[in-house]
This record gives sequence, C-alpha cells and structure tokens, in this order.
Amino acid sequence: MSIAIRAEKLRKVYPKSPPGVAALDDFSLEVRSGGVYGLIGRNGAGKTTFVRIAATQLEPTSGTTTVLGYDVQGQERQIRARIACVPQESRPLYFLNVEEVVYLYLKLRGLDSTEARRRTRDALEELSLSEYRKRSVSRLSGGLRRRTMCAMVLASDADVLFLDEPTTGLDPIARREVWEAIRRASRENRTIVLTTHYLDEAEALSTRLALIEKGRVMLEGTPADLRARVRFPYRVTIQGSFPREELEPLGQVSAIEGGYLVFARETEAREIARRALERGVRLSMGPVSLEDIFLDVVGRSIESDSSPEEVEAET
Amino acid sequence: MSERNRLRSLFTLVWLNGVVPIRDQPLYILNLIASPLSFLFFIGIVSHGTYLAYGITGGMILTMLSVGTSLQSDLTHYRTDLKFQDVVVASPVEAPTYVAGMALSELVYSLPGLAVFVVIFALADFVSLVSVAVLAGVLVLVWAFASALAFTLATYFRDVRETFLFSPLISLALTVLPPVYYPISALPAWAQLAARFSPTTYAAGLVQGSVGLQPLPIGDALVDWGVLVAFTAALFLLAALKARWKEP
Repeated sequence: MSIAIRAEKLRKVYPKSPPGVAALDDFSLEVRSGGVYGLIGRNGAGKTTFVRIAATQLEPTSGTTTVLGYDVQGQERQIRARIACVPQESRPLYFLNVEEVVYLYLKLRGLDSTEARRRTRDALEELSLSEYRKRSVSRLSGGLRRRTMCAMVLASDADVLFLDEPTTGLDPIARREVWEAIRRASRENRTIVLTTHYLDEAEALSTRLALIEKGRVMLEGTPADLRARVRFPYRVTIQGSFPREELEPLGQVSAIEGGYLVFARETEAREIARRALERGVRLSMGPVSLEDIFLDVVGRSIESDSSPEEVEAET
Repeated sequence: MSERNRLRSLFTLVWLNGVVPIRDQPLYILNLIASPLSFLFFIGIVSHGTYLAYGITGGMILTMLSVGTSLQSDLTHYRTDLKFQDVVVASPVEAPTYVAGMALSELVYSLPGLAVFVVIFALADFVSLVSVAVLAGVLVLVWAFASALAFTLATYFRDVRETFLFSPLISLALTVLPPVYYPISALPAWAQLAARFSPTTYAAGLVQGSVGLQPLPIGDALVDWGVLVAFTAALFLLAALKARWKEP
C-alpha cells in the first residue's frame, strides 16, 4: 500500500511562540493511501498544526513532509491540485446559499458546470442538505453550516481530504450522516485525514489513528493496535457493593457512582467477573474504548510530563 | 491548473464576491458611489465650482482606490474570520488567480460609481481620444496597485478591525494629501514635495493634463507614466515577495 502523507522529524515553532515552545517536535507519521486517518489529542496538542503543514497552509520550521510524494516546501502546486480542506472553525461565505457554497467551490477548483452541478446535487443529497439548498448560509444553524463545509470538500475531486474537526457542533444524527459520507469517500480510495475531539468518531471512522500530545505522536496504529498496546485492555464496570481491596490487586480501580470502574488484563477481568457474579453484583465488561486509552496516555503524560518513549514503554 | 480552469476560477471569484453579494444586498453599490460623490460635492461647494472639474477626475481615481480598501477588508475578513483563504490555499487555485479574481469582483461594486462619473466626465466635455485612453490606462494602474497593496496588507492583519486602522491612513496618503482633487499648485512647496512620493499624484497629473486642466508637456507625461508603472510594478513585487499566501 502506498503512502499518501509522510512526515519526518517535523518541527514547528510559531514565530511568536515563547522560546523553546514547539507546536510540533520530532513529529513523524505515515498515512497510507485510502482510508481514514484519525488524529486525536487535546487542544493545542499539534493536530491542526500538522494538518495545516500537510495542507500547504503553514510553513514548517524543520523536517520534511510529503503529500502524494510531493514536498510541502517547494512542490505546493502539485499537492494543491489534489487536496481539499475543511479548516478548523471555517465557515461558508454567509451571502451564498447552500447550493452555491458547494457549486462555486467546485467551479473555483476548475470543474465545468455540468460536473459541478452533478457533484453538488449528489453531495447535498448525501448529507441531507437538499431541502436547504436555496437557503442562505446566514440563516443556517451552526451545525448546518459545518455540514455544508463538509459537503463542499467531499464533493470535490481531491484525492486527499483534510477535515479538521468537521463535525463540531453537529447533532448525533447529522454527525452520522457526515460519517457515512466520509466512509463513502474513503471507499473511493481517497485518503482522509480527520482530526476530532470525539473519540467515538475517531474509533468509528479511522482505519488508523495517531494520538498526539505535546507536539509528538504518542501512539499510532489501528484502533485494535492501540487497544493491544495499553496496559489494561479490558474495562469492567461494577454496580453494587463490592470490597475495593479485593479489586485493587486485579487492576486499576477507580470509584464511580454506585460502584467501581476497573481496567484489567484479560485473566484478571474474567476473575473480577466471576467474583462479581458470585456476589450477585451487576457488571459489564468489554474492551477499553479509545477514550479510555486517551485518558490513560494523556493523563500519564500530564502527570509525569514524560516523553513519548517513556509512555510507550509503560503501555 | 490549465489556463481554461484558471479563467474559470477567476470568473467564479468575480461572481462569488462581486455579483452575489450585490444581489443579496444592493446597498453595497450606493455605499461605493457615496464616497467619491460626496468628495465631488464638497470640493465643488468649497471651491465655488473652481475645482469641480478636478473633483470629477479625482472622483474616478478615488473610486478605483476604493476597490483596494474594500478588497483589503474582504480579504482580511475571509482569511481571519471565515478561513476562506485556507480553503483556497488547499486547492488548485493559485494566489495570483485569487487576488485577480477578488480584485475584479470589487470592480463590479465600483462599476455603477464609475458609470456615474463617466457620464459627468462626458457632460463636462472632457471626452477625447487622448483623455479616454489616458483615463483608462491610469484607472487600470490605480486598480492594479491598490489591489496589490491591499492583498499584501490583508495577509498580515490579524483581525478585520485592523483594516479599519489602516484604511483611513492609506486613504490620507493616497487621496487627500496628493493633489487628486485639486491642482498640485494649490499645495505649499513642502507638500508638493511630499506628494511626489504618492503614485496618485502622477495618476492625477496625467488625467488632469489629458483633459486640459493642467499643462502637461510630453516629457512630464512620460515621467508620470514611468513613475506610475514603476510604482505599480514595485507593489506587485512586494505582493509576490511579502504577501503571506502560506503562513510562516
């Protein structure tokens, strides 16, 4: 499988940053062609900085980044011909209507009218925007505006799509419609780089993902890989009376309302389940979620201010 | 991007930023006519009609300079508030196409204002082959340098409010201090010297000379053209070297 995006030892220090503060530092990543690549991390972790560098909107300080084999420094024209981007916090031009936003964007990219109209119609339909197509953007809700932005780039002919928090502000149904459109785009062998704070979204969509913290890649792989690399791959929720001291040796225990949440290895998780059933206590058990992994890795990074290598070793 | 696609992008920008907003809010046109006409009215009243002819030629130059002011605000707003520039950067559209399209779109707003001035220009009996050719050439150059300057500045502003700071200063430097609305002889000697640093002095000199308001020997006319073209080229160079299409 070919590589769509490759970043090597990427570093970005913003011109007015305090000395020594880098938005990205020793950042290396490979995004394979086709599929959805999820970038997760806290606010300010460096996700958007990376997306902006790869989308040729921002100069890196050092390191190399290639998109579809072209260098973001010096070969921007070749890259730009084949990418599209929904920037974070971007909004459509408010005096256009929904249809115009998509159609004129496609025309701007050089598509002819017939093709632009066809793609616009399909994209609006796909994202359930057809009924709003003649409505002015100024009269749309925030969620519909965001959805219109997504329709705009998904309708494009670009091979690589950068979606920086595309579903922020969308209701659950609208989010799923966007997910479906993203999935469809990835099935067309387009590469989609998605940043999100919704970990369920990252998990549902990403073929691979990277957890970014303090400008570095902390964990990278498929969602299953990430689960396999954490200390405790199972989460057990116990609702009811259970002696905590009995749980402590079996995993990482934290109190929740009406019971405990325990992260454990498979054998210990089964043991907890057996004992809970003996006591007639309600429990649920399953693999850890991306959110659990995120909280574990990022939480320990905050606590120890550790380097990625240290966290990797611990997990 | 092929030439055909480039043209398609260009006209899309003209439509998107020039025609659609006016369709949405026709008052935009009045706004752009108001300023040069107010100046014309003011100059006419204050000079008891003496400088009315200067007000007509000056009004046309000001209308073209207004393109730059509006462009500066639009580009800044689109870049900082809507992230539209980022959308365009990450697309096949190149910076010169974007600027040219946006600058042409601003011209759409100015066309009604220019049309009014053209009518007044004709009524004032200024029309001749030379004056029309000079006027057209000067207005194109003023539009070009105002657009290049607007683009360069717009890529530096952090917020659209910063354009409100700079626009009056630019206006002052390009339309009030230079003899756009009056003959350069009306200025004191030191101000005449200062005015030589503004390209609009040469633009106004050419137009005023071409309609017979000022004597303009051929040698002076050539110098004026040379300076105006050089200034425009310099601002294009500045835009090419210093405008931030890609953020540093």
